[in-house]
Amino acid sequence: MSTVMIRRPTAPPVAEVAAPTFRLDRPLTDLRAGIRTDAAWRSWRLLASDWEQRLRADGVASVTTVETHGQVGDTGAADRSHIGALAEAVDFAIVGLGTCGSCTSFAIADAVAIEQRERPVVAVVTDEFATHGRNMAKHLGHGNLSVLVLPYPLEARPDAELLEISAAYYPQALALLGVSRSAEVGA
Amino acid sequence: MTLTGAQVEVPADPRALYELSLIEQWGDGAPVLPPTDAAIEALLAYTPDPADHVVGVLPPQYGVATVELVAANAAMAGVQPEAFPLVLAALEAILVPEWNAFGLTTTTSSVFPMLIVNGPCRDDLGIDYRAGCMGGAAGRGSMTIGRAVSLCLRNIGGQRAGETSRTVFGQPARFGMCFGEWEERSPWPSLAQRRGFPTDLDVVTVHGGKGTFPLADIHNDDPRGLLFLLAKSMAYPLANMYLGNADNGEVVLAVNPMWAERFGAAFPEMTDLQAYLHEHAWQPLDLWPAANRDILVAKGRVGRRNRVFLTAHPNQIVPVVCGGLGSLHAVALPSFGESAMQGVAARTLTSGAR
Repeated sequence: MSTVMIRRPTAPPVAEVAAPTFRLDRPLTDLRAGIRTDAAWRSWRLLASDWEQRLRADGVASVTTVETHGQVGDTGAADRSHIGALAEAVDFAIVGLGTCGSCTSFAIADAVAIEQRERPVVAVVTDEFATHGRNMAKHLGHGNLSVLVLPYPLEARPDAELLEISAAYYPQALALLGVSRSAEVGA
Repeated sequence: MTLTGAQVEVPADPRALYELSLIEQWGDGAPVLPPTDAAIEALLAYTPDPADHVVGVLPPQYGVATVELVAANAAMAGVQPEAFPLVLAALEAILVPEWNAFGLTTTTSSVFPMLIVNGPCRDDLGIDYRAGCMGGAAGRGSMTIGRAVSLCLRNIGGQRAGETSRTVFGQPARFGMCFGEWEERSPWPSLAQRRGFPTDLDVVTVHGGKGTFPLADIHNDDPRGLLFLLAKSMAYPLANMYLGNADNGEVVLAVNPMWAERFGAAFPEMTDLQAYLHEHAWQPLDLWPAANRDILVAKGRVGRRNRVFLTAHPNQIVPVVCGGLGSLHAVALPSFGESAMQGVAARTLTSGAR
């Protein structure tokens, strides 16, 4: 069979880079917490609100929240600016929610922006978008980014059910951030 | 000219190459032409950019798009060498951050780059702008330029439905969509002119379009009445534009030349036409069920007299003249919302751009 030489049309895979991740390794007491919500997701706003109360009950000094509203334009620019300010103002952050394609991309990108400022961070995605979230983190050079995977779908569940999920996954979020219950660990 | 891409020995038989492309996932499921050095070099001869010039890094997997690699994909799509600068221009437009390739290549939405071409090249390159311009006219430029961009997103950006792209349905335009504006039949300045380009340049404007939304009427001869209905139809309640910010995104309204003539008589100025369309592109808040109403209120989307406008500004409704002379029809290209249309002029060896 005769043959012909062609050039491969695919780009070589980007070299895998796993930027440093950061853990608290101490209790929550007196820390400044940050939570990123997304105006698109009622479910996540409810969970985030519940987690904010739990964080306060667990002794954090403050909880700063940033709600994102856009991806481009003035709104998107303001969101990215607020995420940058959040990263500077807190000791750790919880970033959600990835439960669609582009919102997962932006949630991961915002989590990466916080991790780049050497803050412990956990990105929250739902199960359907977990692989996509991890892929995005890898492609952004943060392959070891902590990702908490919630059940899918969250939308259309009643509040009571969402609050059960909230209670069940809050400890996992803290574990991924490296929160210790013992005061000695963080000393 | 030195090419540096990895070489692969493949069967010369077209069917065997096709089978191999399916196995290697190089293509879109349709047959491809072999990206030989001769084919790639023929394309490179029509751009002032060197083969190793980096056009950009394409999401979602951030593959580095060199001119050579883009040419390999364009060769597979069958792009005519003279049309290669338009492929590069389209990719440059896609890579403008405000187009939001980062979001659009990964979204669950059906959105995909839709290329609108203005300029003198349209006839020579087979850019369809008359009957069947959005599918069926079979112009070489329209069919291959759009496909080349699609192949670049797939092979360089790593965009694959169900994997890196979370698109739920996709859309036919994912094979590639490229059409021209029938500038000669437009009563208004062309899209490229309105975006600041001189008429002697070949310009690709990239719109993040969710699909082709057909609109028809055979009863209304009054331009204002017809435009009212077009505006209301574009403002359908489940449009993406109602999900987010009214400030972001554009809706393209493709108007056939017969209607354009009628509309142009009533609205000689494009800005007046856009203002009229915007004025009527809204729905009453009560149209939506309570859950949606609450969100629209919370987002500040409700205007005077409880009207929820599709866009914040008139210039976000973008009429373009194209299509056949059979009249009766228009097509809206709804927006993803979080994406701003971008235009880039093609740089050719003779354009003096370098």
